[in-house]
Amino acid sequence: MLSGISILCFAASYIAALALEISRLFFRSGVRGAILLAFAGAGLLAQTLFLAYRARTTSAAPLSSEFDWYLVAAWVLAAMYVYWTFSHPRTAVGLFALPLVLGLIAAAEFFAKREPFPTSQASQVWAAVHGIFLLLGVITVLVGFVAGLMHLVHSYQLKHKLRPMQGLQLPALEWLERVNTRAVFVAAVMLAVGFLSGMALNLVNRRHDLPDSVQWNDPVVWSSGVLLGWQLAAAAFSVLYRPARQGRKVAYLTVASFVCLAIAMGVWLMSPSSHAPVRQTRAKRRANSELGMRIAELGAESSPALAAAVFHSSSFIQHPLKLP
Amino acid sequence: MKLQMLGCSHRHASVAIRERLAFSPAQAEAALDDFRTHFPEVEAVLLSTCNRVEVYTAAEDPECGPTHQDLAEFLARFHGLNVYDIFDELFERTGEDAVRHLFMVASSLDSMVLGEPQIVSQVKQAYDLALGRHSTGPLTNQIFQAALRVGKRVASETSINEKRISIPSVAVADFAKQIFERFDDKRVLVIGAGEMGEETLRYLQDEGARDVTVVNRSFERARALAERWQGRAVPWEQLGDALVAADLVIGTTGASEPIVSLADYQRIEPARYQRDLFVLDLAIPRDFDPAIGDCLGVYLYSIDDLQDACERNRQERDKELPKALKIIEDETARFMAELNHYATGPIIKRLRQGWQQPKEDELRRLFNRLPGLTDRDRQEIQQSFDRLINKLLHPPLESLRDEARHGIPHGLLDALKRLFQLKD
Repeated sequence: MLSGISILCFAASYIAALALEISRLFFRSGVRGAILLAFAGAGLLAQTLFLAYRARTTSAAPLSSEFDWYLVAAWVLAAMYVYWTFSHPRTAVGLFALPLVLGLIAAAEFFAKREPFPTSQASQVWAAVHGIFLLLGVITVLVGFVAGLMHLVHSYQLKHKLRPMQGLQLPALEWLERVNTRAVFVAAVMLAVGFLSGMALNLVNRRHDLPDSVQWNDPVVWSSGVLLGWQLAAAAFSVLYRPARQGRKVAYLTVASFVCLAIAMGVWLMSPSSHAPVRQTRAKRRANSELGMRIAELGAESSPALAAAVFHSSSFIQHPLKLP
Repeated sequence: MKLQMLGCSHRHASVAIRERLAFSPAQAEAALDDFRTHFPEVEAVLLSTCNRVEVYTAAEDPECGPTHQDLAEFLARFHGLNVYDIFDELFERTGEDAVRHLFMVASSLDSMVLGEPQIVSQVKQAYDLALGRHSTGPLTNQIFQAALRVGKRVASETSINEKRISIPSVAVADFAKQIFERFDDKRVLVIGAGEMGEETLRYLQDEGARDVTVVNRSFERARALAERWQGRAVPWEQLGDALVAADLVIGTTGASEPIVSLADYQRIEPARYQRDLFVLDLAIPRDFDPAIGDCLGVYLYSIDDLQDACERNRQERDKELPKALKIIEDETARFMAELNHYATGPIIKRLRQGWQQPKEDELRRLFNRLPGLTDRDRQEIQQSFDRLINKLLHPPLESLRDEARHGIPHGLLDALKRLFQLKD
């Protein structure tokens, strides 16, 4: 039964919840809150079951591929949104958070058609630390962005003595500022641990001559490095320059962090990388596999070691092989 | 059935009378006990707030219910007053009007400040207290539970209780609370000793503000005000330092020109590190140069800004009022239909019981004459008889239900009693 749940199920629920959030701006309703929570809760439940099913049927899921990684990020953000909406039903957090949730789901569905991350026994722990901390870092950046955006909208309204739009009730500036400040520091720590554990993972792979290692100049590596660099600079700026920990400045920092993250994600999703190679068609995969076996057979006659190495590589690295 | 409300409110009675008739919770308990000893068959709930004292009574039998005079005497006797001193100040609502009135009260449409949110909890407390004293019954339970539901409905479907209309309440609820999450760790600076400043302080202290500093040209006046609000007075010369430390400033001086110019603020601005500062300039002429509002982290509101917000809120409330009144009307009509239908319950019960006996006699006779029937056959026949009775009773019961929408259908009930010889 669980296999019947598709991405469309929970994406549609979140879209319905977003439509209800938008309707706050136009009219009041006594039952909207309950319907909204029902849709968001149903979406979260469906997504949880979807991820649970994948974890049961796919090895090392839910963080075994970029596809799963983006879906887990969307799931955590959606869970935070549902909790917040339940505890503060009048606050329009969904207007800011749900587009991000849907964006992450869209990224998973349309762009993250990659092979699962390759991992071996020797590097499993590092791979888990790397995946989890990067996930937490990215979620923190997204939470900071939501809080930062709300802070900017809210402070603009208050500064210009504008009437708040109907239904656009936002948390107090003080609370948003606190979330923003924490997001800057927590994201820096999480991303740093995630990035450093990724480096350790790569070093382990290289030391064991595993085929999973990634080039240091791989687009995923350098774009993650740039994101981490920005986040560390933002945190350092906040420590050294006191006004940057307060008011709109910290909101600008979190919004800028999101822009950096969006660029980095664009690089992760669009550029060719050996970090998680683009998924090939089944026919192409079969051809590569047969080709590898053929080379192995040929090589075994002259050098058994070479044959083993070639066979191993062809089963992991899915780039088209060229005949010598 | 008799539903009745007798009492006084800010609309009909002076403060002096309301004060004399008010009940503390302990007094309300004693009064309800006293009422039950005099009228054991009558349900009662006593609602006593700053703006109203109302006794709601309900009796299944209209003959048992207290009269207007009885209730007035009960109120006067409990407070040791002469009934003629209060009689003209009291007003009465009965039947549907009493229900509508309670719904209006619970929805804060009858409050002195339209939409004030405390009244729902006050109605609930009054009902809980009566429940605790066992002075409620089926009728008062229904009407008060419905009133609480209607109060919530009006609050959720209209914005009538979200809009404040006095300047200090708007300043705190609509603006200060948008900036600060909590007030117990905030430093409040009051410049001057204006009345509006004190009123705003009252709202801020209700929200938890504890750290109050007062600055005034006359140090003695500053000290007197600070003592009243458990704050501290600071000499006028230290205004700059106080502004650096403050999170929230209330300006209420009578100065003829701004006491804080843009240049003054720019001098202290670096020491604040762009920390948020909420300035309520309640003085006329203004105490703060309006250009200060453009500085980073400063949210400056003058009395004109607040008055605009109050006026907008008042207009919003007025716009919401017809919507709220429509909810009251719909709910009252629905409640009365249910209540009237409830009043027909005993007749319906007797009607059904009256048909049961002949049915059972006929069944017994039939089963005696047909001894070869299996249990299944008997069950089928019995169900058939039941269906027949239900079908025969359906038209008169539907007519009763329809008539109950417009009041208790006394004519129909009498006709049924006579036609089917239903005895009380």
